[in-house]
Formats: sequence, structure tokens, C-alpha cells
Amino acid sequence: MHDFVSEVMTEIYSTLFGQNDTQPPTGPAALGFGPGKPLPPMPTNQAPVAAQIPGQLGDEGPTLRKPGAMNEPFYLLRELPVGNDLTGNTNLITHYSLEHAFNKFCGKKVKEKLSNFLPELPGMIDCPGIQDGSSLHSLIEKPPVCGNSFSPLTGALLTGFRLHTGPLPEQYRLMHIQPPKKKSKNKYRHHRPQDPLPPETPSDSDPKKKKKKRDDDPDRKKKKKDKKKKKNRHSPDHPGLTGSQPNSLR
Amino acid sequence: MAEKFDNLEEHLEKFVENIRQLGIIVSDFQPSSQTGLSQKLNFMITGLQDIEKCRQQLHDINVPLEVFEYIDQGRNPQLYTKECLESALAKNEQVKGKIDTLTKFKSLLISELGKIFPEEMTKYKAIHGDDPPS
Repeated sequence: MHDFVSEVMTEIYSTLFGQNDTQPPTGPAALGFGPGKPLPPMPTNQAPVAAQIPGQLGDEGPTLRKPGAMNEPFYLLRELPVGNDLTGNTNLITHYSLEHAFNKFCGKKVKEKLSNFLPELPGMIDCPGIQDGSSLHSLIEKPPVCGNSFSPLTGALLTGFRLHTGPLPEQYRLMHIQPPKKKSKNKYRHHRPQDPLPPETPSDSDPKKKKKKRDDDPDRKKKKKDKKKKKNRHSPDHPGLTGSQPNSLR
Repeated sequence: MAEKFDNLEEHLEKFVENIRQLGIIVSDFQPSSQTGLSQKLNFMITGLQDIEKCRQQLHDINVPLEVFEYIDQGRNPQLYTKECLESALAKNEQVKGKIDTLTKFKSLLISELGKIFPEEMTKYKAIHGDDPPS
């Protein structure tokens, strides 16, 4: 399209200003833009004027302006580019058969949180990974040293995993905090043993979840008080720790 | 293609479940739990071996880095797919509008030039044809 316009403009220019004059006029008047000078009359017969142009300017102008025999009387008439079958004129989503995916993701409302995508995954996955150093970005920037094959632990190596009896200290109990269990259509149904601690739900902005929390709060408080008493009897002394939990329900 | 993803998904779920049970054992450890702990640790190693085997089937899978940013922010990665599709559709419509506008301009220009330079336009159409490719 751009080639067509440039060709036509070039032809118009040469037709308007490439006259039968033997000597080309000098100064701004040569271009017909001088004050008070009318535009030169358009020649009636276009072909001979165009044909004369190379004769007139061939001696002075560059050789590029000689038209080819095929494309007379047009200068610099190039072949149009080969048409591409796939352009923005076609609906690319239909072309690549992505209607189903489009309706699935754009037709319905996609939930914001990561826990909605991975409901079975335990732990606080909705929090940014930068906070606890579990981001995938850091894994890419600093990949762990690997290369050794995985070999099962022998009896001698397993002796390193002998633990002290009793519950974990309070500072490590955050690992068991899970989001509320949701109905999932997961085909892999695992029978999970019960967790020792009740699930402490993070604060959500959903009003329905807040209503459920209010109903369960007094029961949870009683259970937690009883467990606190039991733990305080068994927990070792730690310097600098207070009795308040980091996540306490209101 | 979906089978190798299902296989990996199954192994990952079993691995995560094993780790979760390991955490439960450790949270309130008893001497009788030692054998269970050792078993879970070895299950963890075999789980890693299984995941390592799945890696060979998925060596040609590429994941865009922008998805990792969504996951690191705790957002659903399906939102990235949604935004990609929406931006593709918007760009498609934008380019289609440009093509339609330029096509209309071209036909208008040819018709107007045909009125003013009829002989040149007939020669032009003879060279390029009446319906040049759009």
C-alpha cells in the first residue's frame, strides 16, 4: 500500500513539474511555489510527457530514474509483497482452536489466590515467596547444587535423625498452619491423618468466611487454652520468647 | 502429553503428602515414631527419584518466566493465561481495524485517482491486476 502511494505521488510530481521546457527553471519558482505564480497547466497527454522525462533528465539525473520496460510509465514500481495467509484480519483464537481455552479462562471468573489453583497443597501458599525465602525467582537466580544421585539413607545415616521427644517449640509451629479445607475435585483422594493442631486460618477479606470464624471462635478458644496449658507443662524454657502466639484469633 | 503431566502431578502430590506426614510426626515426636520417621525419610528420597525420572519426559516443556512471578506473589497462574489471551484478542482486533481502514483507504484512493488519471490507473491495474492482494 505504501509503495502504491509513493509511486502515484512520484508520478503526479513528475507530471506536474516535468514540463516540455528544454531548460529547467532555477530558483524557488522552478518548483512552482513562488508567490503569485500559478500552477503550470496539466498536460493533456500524459504518456509522451512521461516518456520524455527520462530523455530530459537522463543526462542530468541519476540512472535510477529510468523506468523498466515492463512498468512504463511508472517509476520505481515494485512488485507487491506476497500476501501472507495469516494476518491480523483473521481471528487467531479460532485459527489456533483456542475457543475452549478462551471460554474457560476469560468466560468465567478466575480466582485470584494460588490456593484456589492448588487447594490440596498444605501451608501458607498465598503469601509472597519473598517473605519466607521460598520464591521460585530465587531458585532460578541461585540454583541449588545438585548432580549427585539420590541414594536411600543407611542405618548409620539415619542415626542423625534421632529427635527429642515431645512437641515442637512454639517458634516452629507455624509450619502446620493450613488454609481452610475446600471442596476439591481431585481424583487422587488421600486419606490424611489428623493434624495435632487445629487449622489456624489466615485473615481473609471474604465476609462469608468471617461469619464462619465467628461461630467457631469460642470453641476454638477453649480448645486452644486447654492445649496451651498442656504444652506449657512439657515445653522447654526458651530465652526471649513470650507466651503470646504470632497468629492469634480475635 | 497430558499423561506425562498426570504422572508428574501424581508423584508431586505423593511427595507433598509424605512431607506433610513427616511434619506431623516431627511436631510431637515419640520414641515409637522413630521407625515411621525413617520410613518417611526414605519415601522422600524415592519420591525425589521418581520426580527425577519424570524430568526426562518433560525436557521440551517451556514455562514463561512471568508465570513464576505470579506464583511468587501468591496469585493464581491461570490469571497469566487469561491475561495473555485477552491481550492477544485485543491486539488481534487492533490490527484488524488497521487492516480494514487501510483497505478502505486504498479502494477510495484508487477510485479517486481513476477519476483524475484514468489512463494511468488503467495501466496500473493492468500491471498489478484489478484485485491486488490485501
